[in-house]
Parts: sequence; C-alpha cells; structure tokens
Amino acid sequence: MNLRIVGVDFLYSIRSWSRSRGTVFWSLLFPVMLILLFGAIFSGMGDSKYTIYVQDLDNTDMSQSLVTILNKTGILTIKNVSTNQPITDYIKENNIKNLIVIPKGYENDVTNSFVDPDMKVNLTYYYDPTETQTNQILRSVISSVLEGLNMQLTQGKTIIGLSEQSTITENFGFIDFFIPGMIGFTIMQQSIYGSIERNTKFRKDGILRKLLTTPITRSEWILAKMLFMLFLAFISTSVAIGVGVLAFGIKVNINLLTIVIVIATSFLFSGIGMIIGRFVKEEETADMAAGAISFPMMFLAGTFFAVESMPAIIQIISRALPLFYVNEGLRNAMIYMNQTEALINGGIVLIFAAIFFIAGVILTKWKED
Amino acid sequence: MIEQRFKCPTCHEISTFYGDPGETQVVTCTHCNTKGRIIITGEKPGNDVAIEVSHLKKVYDDLIAVNDISFRVKKGEIFAFLGPNGAGKTTTVEMIESIRTPTEGAIKLLGTDTKTGFNQVKERISILPQEFHSFERFTVRETLTYFSKLYKKRANIDEILEAMDLRTHEKKLYKNLSGGLKQRVGVALSLVNDPEIVFLDEPTTGLDPKARREVWQVIANLRNKGKTVFLTTHYMEEAEHLADHIAIIHKGKIIAEGTLQELLTKYGEKTTLYIKNCHSEDAKLVLEEKGFEVNSSGNSDLMVKIDYKEKVLEVLSELRHECIEYDGVDIRGSNLEEVFLRLTGARLTEEEEP
Ligand SMILES: Nc1ncnc2c1ncn2[C@@H]1O[C@H](COP(=O)(O)OP(=O)(O)OP(=O)(O)O)[C@@H](O)[C@H]1O
Ligand SMILES: [Mg+2]
Repeated sequence: MNLRIVGVDFLYSIRSWSRSRGTVFWSLLFPVMLILLFGAIFSGMGDSKYTIYVQDLDNTDMSQSLVTILNKTGILTIKNVSTNQPITDYIKENNIKNLIVIPKGYENDVTNSFVDPDMKVNLTYYYDPTETQTNQILRSVISSVLEGLNMQLTQGKTIIGLSEQSTITENFGFIDFFIPGMIGFTIMQQSIYGSIERNTKFRKDGILRKLLTTPITRSEWILAKMLFMLFLAFISTSVAIGVGVLAFGIKVNINLLTIVIVIATSFLFSGIGMIIGRFVKEEETADMAAGAISFPMMFLAGTFFAVESMPAIIQIISRALPLFYVNEGLRNAMIYMNQTEALINGGIVLIFAAIFFIAGVILTKWKED
Repeated sequence: MIEQRFKCPTCHEISTFYGDPGETQVVTCTHCNTKGRIIITGEKPGNDVAIEVSHLKKVYDDLIAVNDISFRVKKGEIFAFLGPNGAGKTTTVEMIESIRTPTEGAIKLLGTDTKTGFNQVKERISILPQEFHSFERFTVRETLTYFSKLYKKRANIDEILEAMDLRTHEKKLYKNLSGGLKQRVGVALSLVNDPEIVFLDEPTTGLDPKARREVWQVIANLRNKGKTVFLTTHYMEEAEHLADHIAIIHKGKIIAEGTLQELLTKYGEKTTLYIKNCHSEDAKLVLEEKGFEVNSSGNSDLMVKIDYKEKVLEVLSELRHECIEYDGVDIRGSNLEEVFLRLTGARLTEEEEP
C-alpha cells in the first residue's frame, strides 16, 4: 500500500469534485434547500385550526364539559388520548406538540372549592417551545376558556389554573426528525452514484484499463475513493446539521456513534453502487437502476415521514431496508439521545455495510473479459 | 553483459568469458594459461526485442478472437498492427498489456514474462486504450500530473506539453477539448513515466484528417525519442505513414508481416503513373526507350508502370526534357489497401472513411 499514491488520488478527486457545479449542487445546496423547504412547510406554519390533544384522567361530567367548551371555540381540533397511556411516552412517540391533561379528581376539586376557598386545580399544558406562534395562539385560547369557566363558577376567583410544561426533552419537531433522514439520504445518493460513475463510466472511458497498467493498485484506488466519499459524507452531514441548528434551532449531539454510522453508511451504499455497476454496464442504465433502488427506499425507510404512520405491511418492508437503520440510528444517536437503540441500529448498519462493501469489492474487477 | 565461449588454440579446451558486445578482451585460458585476445560478438539474447508474443490465443465463448499469433517487436521501432474492425487488434494489445487474460500463449515485455512479472514492467510501459477519455474535470496539465504521480519515474511535464504542442491548452478542462486534442493528450499521457514501450490502440479513429495528421506528428515524435511504439489501426495510410514494421491481422490471424516495402513488393502491384491528356506521339517512345512499361488509355492518358514512387521524378524530368506537354499527373500506387484486398478479398477500411 503506497499512501503517497492514495493521497494524490484523494486530493485530485476533491479538486475535480469542487469544479462540478452539478455535484456541488446535489451534495450541498440541494439538501439545504430541501431542509429549508420541508422545515418551513411542516413546522406548523399558517394553519387556522390547531390540533390539541386532551387526556381526560378525571372523566366526569365536569371534565367532559371543559372539553366541550374547548371544542366549541371553533379554533381547536380536539383529539382524545386514552387514559391508560403514560403521557410523556405518548408525546414522544407521536410527536405531539400540544396536549392538555385534566387531572384525576378535577370535578371533585372544583366542587370542593366552593367550600374550601384555598382549593385549586391545575390542568397541565404540554407545548413545544420552538413553535412560538402556535403556542401564543393556543395559550390565549385556552386561558380565555379557563377564565370564562372560573368566572362562571366563582365570580372571578381562579380555581382552575394552567400549569405549563415544555415538551422539549421528550417531544421533537419535524425538523429534528427530518435532518438525520436528510443526512442518510444525501450520503446514500452520493455514495451510490459516485460508485456507479467509477465502475461504469470510468470503465467505458478506458480509465480503469489505463490504471490497471500503472503502478496504482486496486486497493490503493478504492481506499483513496472511500476517503473521498467520507470527505463528502462529512461535508454533507455538517451542512445539514448547520442548517438545522442555524435555521431551526435544533439540538444535535455529535458523538462517536453518529460518526460511525455516517462512515458505515458511506461504505454501505458505495458497495451497493459497485454491485449495480457490476451487473449494469451502461452508466445511464446503472443510474436508473440506482434510482429505482434508492428512491423507494428513501420513502419506505422513513426519511421524510415516520414509518410508524405507514401501513403495517410497509413497516415490515421498512425493517428490511438498510436506510431505515441508518435513519433510526442517526436520529437516536444525535437527536433523541437514545444510545442503546442507536447502538443496535448502528450495529445493523455496520453489518449491512460489511456485507455490501465486501460483496462490491469482490464483484468488481478492473480486468476485461 | 553476455557470455562468450573461447576455444583455446593450444589445449583446445573451452573457457567462458563475459563482456559487452563489441568489446575486446585479453583473456587467459582457464586450463593451460595461454593468453589470447577475444572480441565479444553477437548481441545480448533478445536484448533488441521489446515485445515477444508467441502462440497467443483468445477464445470468447464460441468465438476465436485471436488465433495462435506470434511476432516480435524490435526496440525503437513503430510497429503497426493493422486490421479491420473486429480483427482482434484490441484483444491482442490488451492481452499484451495484461488487461485481458490469454487463453493460450506467452508474452514477454522487455524480456519479462507478463504472466508472472507484469508488475515489474509497469513502470517501463504506458498505454492509450481505445476510445480513451480521461477525467473530465482535470485540466490538461493536471491530467498529465495526476498520471505521472502514480509512477516512480516521472518525465518533465513541461517538456511533454512542449513536445506535444499542448502548451496553449494546458489550462483547459479535458472535457472541453476537441476530439483531436483529447487524443493528443492521450498520447502525451503515455509519456509521463518516460516509458520504453508505448501502446496506442487506434489513436486516430474518428478524427478528421487534420487532427489525424497532428496525432501522427506526435507519434512520429515518439520514435524520435527512441520509444518503441505498438500502434493498432485500421487506417492503412496510418501504417504506411508511420510504421517501420507492419503486421496485418485478419480474423484473429496475422496474414502478412514485414516493412511497408516488403509487403508492397511481395503482395502489391507496381505503381501506375497517369500522365493526363498527353497528345504527344513521342512520349510513349521516349519513355519506353528509357525502359518504362507504358500503356495508353482511350482518352489520351498515358499509364506508366513504376517500381517505386521515387521513379516519378525520373519520368517527369524525361518528359520535360523532351518538351512534352500534358495536363497533370496522378499516381495510383500499390498500397496496403490493395495488399489487403489481395490477401483477403475484403476491403480494409469502411466506406465513409477518408
Ligand atoms: N469481451 C468480449 N467478449 C466477447 N467477444 C468479444 C469481446 N471483446 C471482443 N470480442 C469480439 O472479438 C472480436 C475481436 O474484437 P477486438 O475488439 O479485439 O477487435 P478490434 O480489431 O480491436 O476491432 P476494432 O477495430 O473495432 O476496435 C470481435 O468479433 C469482437 O466482437
Ligand atoms: Mg479495437
């Protein structure tokens, strides 16, 4: 292994890459645009009806009438949450932004307040502090409903109060979900298409044949190209995270597991690209084959939308796709801080990467015939 | 160093000495100590051979693409491997370059068997594959620099740019070059490691005549630099123009081999010089008197058979001397095309070629 040659090839790859507006666009600007666009669309902008979840732990006439009043405002869409759900888990799993919990004993406490002047009862309001606009509206709607109630019940004395609780630690916005997905998707695209170019176009153009007669070895070449792919992967990851932090204020944890998953993803899809290039010799056709594989995978593996919201059969398919574990792994490692899950996802990604990359290297040859 | 045996005039025993060809040595017989003087004769075995191919064969599924061919290429010569499309040129050259694996046969490059020792000769050879396109977003200079950095031995890039007349283009991106320039860069690329043998697979196919001539110039320069050039082509003019030695390959077999002159003499017809619109009665007599074979056609043209193209001048000066008037001349030479036609009954080049 001649590291000088590896270095030469690596540096020349970067130089060539930096000259191509197309590749720079697809690997840098496109993800940025997509993040901004999706972020803007899905981060709760300009909806005149607001969804609020209500968990009625009291389930009495009085608590039900509170729900009815909230509903009658016409601004809120009420969704009931069953009482046997542990609420923080529910918020986290379903990505809930606004939720009110009516505590057990609500009716009792309100009734008691007529005799006990110190009696108070608090509803808990969970909200996502990042969505300030929605919060203001919701908070004012809810407080005016409560004020009206208090007025009715006690001529102005506040019995029913609102205790607020941020959902930030358990509840993540769309953008938190989306940015890891975008990272996985971008690395997938770069790696597959880069690998296909090297194994189809370079073959057709005689570059591989030429290299075969120069002192560079196949391992040196593959190592140089993988270093280059990692360079691209880290650039894209940094850009996606940068946009997330700067434009949407997401909180990201960069840890070893995140880095390992990024590296493994690069190897994984480079391997898939090599395998495609081995069987489909024409670059255009190979690109189409890559599209046919990566495009459905992008949707099915939960890049943009949570797999949980999809039909059961699709959820099963998702779990067979390597990109699913990349997405889950990155989300768990860098956003949700669920390192045990991340470790499992990362492990699965590593296994996929090893299988596909080794198969790719074995299947591709430089020699003709 | 080669071996030279010496038979002692006194004791008649044989002793062995070593030296370089042409060198004179004073030696002592190892048996009886008689002194004597010897001249090392002969050449190092195979020393002047750059490429040696023996009984090379390549079978693809049910097609025999290369069928038991053998030849040698001498150092410093341009060897043209001439044949029509599908004759087996690329298959052969890529087997020599260790890109394809021969079904049978042996190849030696610079004395090294490529089956086992190809890696050792990599530094000393260089190739231009057929329809080669280099990295699109490297400039001409970067293309040369990139490939040169893969080698231990590196030629001076500036000198190559100069020699290949690429100075004015060195900053252009490869993908923006014309076809002719791309091929010139391709040939230039094969110089970056200052190789001893350069393989060029159809370097001028698809180029217009002007670009083709420019590439020819560049190839001729390689010979001037002392490189051995293995050139495959299906253009007979290319072989005629450049090659010291030509092998004609047809359907996987070498059907003729030799210098251009040898091939023409052996398989060609004599060259005919057409003297157009010559009404002089004397012309035919004058030339016949000088020993030329002259025929006249129906339309007052004279047709003079000549052995070499050089004889043209002789004919023309004869006519001038006798003040014989004519409209012009035309030479229909015997050429490789004709040689090929004779040997195979097929034409060498396609119709659309110039
Ligand atoms: N990899 C392959 N598999 C099967 N057949 C092949 C392969 N490569 C070449 N052939 C066939 O072998 C024969 C010789 O091909 P080759 O490319 O060596 O010819 P060539 O003389 O270089 O022709 P051209 O002038 O078109 O480049 C052709 O009939 C070709 O179709
Ligand atoms: Mg060919």
